[in-house]
Amino acid sequence: MEDILFILIAAIFALRYLLRLQARGVFTALLVGLIGFFFSFTVAEMPPFGNPANPVFNEIPTRFMEMGTLETGAVNIVSSVIIDYRAFDTLGEATVLFVAIAAVVATLKSH
Amino acid sequence: MEDQIVRITSRLVVPFIQVYGIYIILHGHLSPGGGFSGGAIFGASLVLIALSFNLEAGVKQISHDTSSILESGGALGFVITGLVAIALGGNYLANKAVGFPMGQAGELFSAGSIMLITVFLGFKVASTIVTLFYNIIEGEDKGGDAH
Repeated sequence: MEDILFILIAAIFALRYLLRLQARGVFTALLVGLIGFFFSFTVAEMPPFGNPANPVFNEIPTRFMEMGTLETGAVNIVSSVIIDYRAFDTLGEATVLFVAIAAVVATLKSH
Repeated sequence: MEDQIVRITSRLVVPFIQVYGIYIILHGHLSPGGGFSGGAIFGASLVLIALSFNLEAGVKQISHDTSSILESGGALGFVITGLVAIALGGNYLANKAVGFPMGQAGELFSAGSIMLITVFLGFKVASTIVTLFYNIIEGEDKGGDAH
């Protein structure tokens, strides 16, 4: 009698776990679907690639392309942007690298 | 894991990878590439040595002290290049406005502080990759002993 009761309780717990797992899976799928729908919606609303009327084509890229070599001396415009016009941002990137490696050394060397 | 083919091939290939990495770093202001990508190529060649031989051979190429000096030196060089621009009477990290030698556009030695900063970044990224790799491999070894 006690054995049957034990198996019954175990079966109820297993069933509850399985049901909860399934409910969680359905919820996850719904959430991912919702987020994916909004992402696709945003991408569909974006202006077409390479269109000259796009809002990114303002005076800033024009200035970089026309005056970049004159003002920085670099033929490579990407280089002139990341190391001259936006050099402070690149310094931040180097700092991120430095902090990352410092964290790795501090974590792994303590073994 | 000693494989003759892998060792001989990597011994042949590593110098070319390193020359290519240095080329990418030095031509950062002329062609696609720069400090980050060239440093990654150079660091990958040192990782290849440690992978195809063993860790001691890799550490013999560039020791931990050299690596950390290059790491900090790269970041410091970047900051000091910016401070030199202030000392010359301009904004932080200013280039042409404070009179870094510009040279002829398209030549190797041109573009003032851009080339300097690219070389510093290359050192820094290469030593970052090497330090990360060595530390993870050695941490695994030590962890295996301890647990």
